[in-house]
Amino acid sequence: MAFRYLLIALLTVLLLAIPASIYRLKVILDPKRPKPVRNGRHGDEKPAHLLIVLGSGGHTAEMIAMLERAVNEKDERLRLDWNSYTQRTWVTGTGDTISAQRVKEFEEMATTLPAERSHKALLVTVPRARAIHQPLLTTPYSSLRCMLACFAILLPSERDFPDIILCNGPAIATILVFTSVLLRFFDVRGCHSPGKMRTVYVESWARVKKLSLSGMLLETVVDRFLVQWEQLEGGRREYLGVLV
Amino acid sequence: MSGQGKQKTCFVTVGATASFTDLIRAVLAPDFCKALESQEYTHLLVQYGQDGKELFDKCLQQSLEVGDLSSLQIGGFALDPSGLRQYMIQAKGQHTKPPAAEGLVISHAGSGTVLDALRVSIPLIVVPNSTLLDNHQVELAEALEEQEYVVHGQLKNLVGALKRAEQLRTRMKTWPPVNSGTHRQAKGLKGVMDEEMGEEELRIDLEVP
Repeated sequence: MAFRYLLIALLTVLLLAIPASIYRLKVILDPKRPKPVRNGRHGDEKPAHLLIVLGSGGHTAEMIAMLERAVNEKDERLRLDWNSYTQRTWVTGTGDTISAQRVKEFEEMATTLPAERSHKALLVTVPRARAIHQPLLTTPYSSLRCMLACFAILLPSERDFPDIILCNGPAIATILVFTSVLLRFFDVRGCHSPGKMRTVYVESWARVKKLSLSGMLLETVVDRFLVQWEQLEGGRREYLGVLV
Repeated sequence: MSGQGKQKTCFVTVGATASFTDLIRAVLAPDFCKALESQEYTHLLVQYGQDGKELFDKCLQQSLEVGDLSSLQIGGFALDPSGLRQYMIQAKGQHTKPPAAEGLVISHAGSGTVLDALRVSIPLIVVPNSTLLDNHQVELAEALEEQEYVVHGQLKNLVGALKRAEQLRTRMKTWPPVNSGTHRQAKGLKGVMDEEMGEEELRIDLEVP
């Protein structure tokens, strides 16, 4: 008898938990959710924290090219003011010295004062989610390791949660974005309510006719989904011209 | 002949991660080297990748035995961690002393490399690696050829691609493309990031001609 009561109790909890979770997911995945309001992004009291995820090879090249173009835009109204993001965190795979070098070059180009570079830009590394030619069997383990590292990066230590997560398609980015969703699901340390960790995904310029795997996984999860070829536009996918 | 005596470089890159051995073979084939000579190229520089040295040396040897390549200098290297842009700028020939003729880049279809060449504004032949599984690279090469930014080259007809690259040279387009005046395109990455930071939507009225 006791077993039957226990079963009923469990089922009831489960039946309540499922719709509650779905509702919660709907709330946190709604792009119209609160945004981090920054009045005067130059102040140190309310730093604007931008987190950029680099993959390797083509992903890094496209991300850096896009940012180079944005901060050097001739039209002032379209130019990204790099210094207004007073905290910048760059994420790369462990041992990716080429990406680290690109970050250094970009920061030197985009910031005018040496002090701004050293204090405001931070480079962190995570273990690769999947190395090239890595057997599929060991991917769950390496992905989990990568995810734990992502938790450590996103959870506030010296810096609060990032305001914006900007990424394109490497596996690391997908894992980091899902980690941020998990944190927001449980509103860990109040990260969801003040509109933290808004996610901007830019599909690779190399994807002309169909989305990448990362793109397909993230399309309904991120707040903004930008594509770079007109034929990919529609639904949540925004086309704003070529960005690289 | 107008460009006689001037240096003219063809720079070939096969990429770092996936070895693209067919492209190494194709650019070192005697008939292709001959075609380069007839287009007044003086230098052929090949980035052949981590384990491409053996193949490069072998093909080069064969090509030198078969063909009578008197004026073409051929060289190669494995990788350069500081990037390939410098080689493209060198092949562009604008700032070299003495001034060189504008050369050419032949590249695998990796987006980073293609982008580099477009930004250096040098004629580019993109050769997708058809042995890769998920071959979206062909789509990029096709789309960019349709917009007349690059020549989409096939491994079996690189000589033909070389001729088309010379035609492309006469009507080179600059990168990035000028946005065609549609309003929704105007805000760019900055507009999106501002919106995400909770700032007011950026409204820019472009003068539409």
